Amino acid sequence: MKIIEVNNLSKTFKVKIKEKGLKGSLKSIINPKYKIVNAVNNVSFSVDKGEIIAFIGPNGAGKSTTIKMMTSILYPDEGNIKILGLDPAKDRKKLAYEIGTVFGQKEQLWTHLTPYDNFKFFGAIYDIPEKAVEKKIEEFRVLFELDKFINTPVRNLSLGQRIICEIVASLIHEPKILFLDEPTIGLDPVVKENIRTLIKRMNKEYKTTIFLTSHDVGDIEKLCKRVIIINNGQLVLDDTMENLKYHYLNQKIVEAKMKEKVNLDDEVGITILKDKGYNLKIEVDTTKRSVADAIRLLNPDNIIDINISNVPLENIISDIYRNKE
Amino acid sequence: MRKYLFIIKTQIMSNLQYIANILLGFIGYFIMLFILFNLWDYLYSSPDELINGYNMNQMTWYVIVTEVLWMTLGGRKLCRKISNDVKSGNITYNINKPYNYVLYCLSTHLGDVVIKGIVYTFLGMLTGFIFLGSFPKLNIISIIILLITAILATTISILLITCIGLVSFFIEDSGPLYWVYSKVILVLGTIFPIEYFPSILQKILQYSPVYVVSYGPAKLFVDFSMDNAIKVIVAQLVYIIISYVLCNLIYRKGVKRINVNGG
Repeated sequence: MKIIEVNNLSKTFKVKIKEKGLKGSLKSIINPKYKIVNAVNNVSFSVDKGEIIAFIGPNGAGKSTTIKMMTSILYPDEGNIKILGLDPAKDRKKLAYEIGTVFGQKEQLWTHLTPYDNFKFFGAIYDIPEKAVEKKIEEFRVLFELDKFINTPVRNLSLGQRIICEIVASLIHEPKILFLDEPTIGLDPVVKENIRTLIKRMNKEYKTTIFLTSHDVGDIEKLCKRVIIINNGQLVLDDTMENLKYHYLNQKIVEAKMKEKVNLDDEVGITILKDKGYNLKIEVDTTKRSVADAIRLLNPDNIIDINISNVPLENIISDIYRNKE
Repeated sequence: MRKYLFIIKTQIMSNLQYIANILLGFIGYFIMLFILFNLWDYLYSSPDELINGYNMNQMTWYVIVTEVLWMTLGGRKLCRKISNDVKSGNITYNINKPYNYVLYCLSTHLGDVVIKGIVYTFLGMLTGFIFLGSFPKLNIISIIILLITAILATTISILLITCIGLVSFFIEDSGPLYWVYSKVILVLGTIFPIEYFPSILQKILQYSPVYVVSYGPAKLFVDFSMDNAIKVIVAQLVYIIISYVLCNLIYRKGVKRINVNGG
């Protein structure tokens, strides 16, 4: 069942341009000049119920603009969006009850209050009866292990604890879709892992559809089964994580420890990444040569140890960004 | 409605952290009153002398009441907050919440002024009593009516300042606009009652925000009459409707102009 449908979405911004220096500043008062920036250009995709989608792209790609149009914050210039059958530009209030948003860089919580009071506040905002809110908080307290800090004022929480509370606060009204804009930004690896566990849990327990943007490859790799990549306002890839990892670049990394040196300089489909005599790291293009063939070239009897891995997702993504620019 | 009452309650809870700041703010208020009290003491040759219809006691109480209203309000902070929210794009994070932004601003700021209002009213009354040795003659009904007019006056002030803050959607900074507004209220209704000004200006002032946010309630405090109270409350209700509608219009127009790029 399609829960999000985005068709031919476009948004342009009028940005003031100014020549340099004082003269430029004066000129821009008398004769202001603008340029049109295509922040989002003809983007279409859809999301099924219960999916965890990674919506990624370099800075300035149009991710946040798209999310803001999907969450009623910005009006699209062209195209249409249907979230749970509602039009975000027209059914703003109705939609607000159905979705949750967390913007990693913006605080939604009241800093002088405890998470408990904040959760009660959000419950009231979403018209949930007080008893039901208290029951929900209790449920979250156990499920997301909030015991240690649920009664500490938000201003005294660590960044990680605060983000956890931000996410939990956005779940109080049981949204069907949760938009997470860079939720793990600036967090240490342990806290990142906690947040990922929380996201996985809410997806599993409450069947919440998650629409996630992140620059963190770990988030994408560990959470999402599908990736949508946007660059320069255009959709450049919409595929499963499996396809992205195994087929998009068709490349494998082979690291081998050898008894004797091997020369692979002119072999088709093989790129030498590192050659330290007996330690060799090569990249095999599987469209030109199979991995088995590459191992044969190294001679299995000559190999002390071998490790075959995929090209890191980070490299794949950077490559996609670069190739589509 | 429950959500807005909850917002007020939440803001009060949050503000209880600042009780020391409120008490410190009273020092400025006290100095101001002390200067004005001495000024009136110098200008009035005897306490019973009337200047523009006010004796010295009335004049002092008038300033105490208007200053309580003014200091409680914290208008500059409100205007700056809304203006900054608009300029920084932070306002966008309120758009997809299920509340009316104008009522949200009103509730948060009302929650902000409740404790200040109680503390300043108590300390203001105490200061007046210390300076003058008596209170104006008021019965319980007139006190309740006065409280209602004070709450309505504060509500109107918040809505008008919200309007000014929201103008930031269309101009770079609404600060100068607030500066003009605050000086008009301060000079033409807070420090002096409107009877101090030329008759033509008095006629204009009677229809201006000065009448509903400061002069009206303070005049009732020093010279209560039911006729006047009804007039003030009706004018206040009209102003609330107008300023609320105006705020929503500006907000709706402004939101469509929002240009938040990135993050």
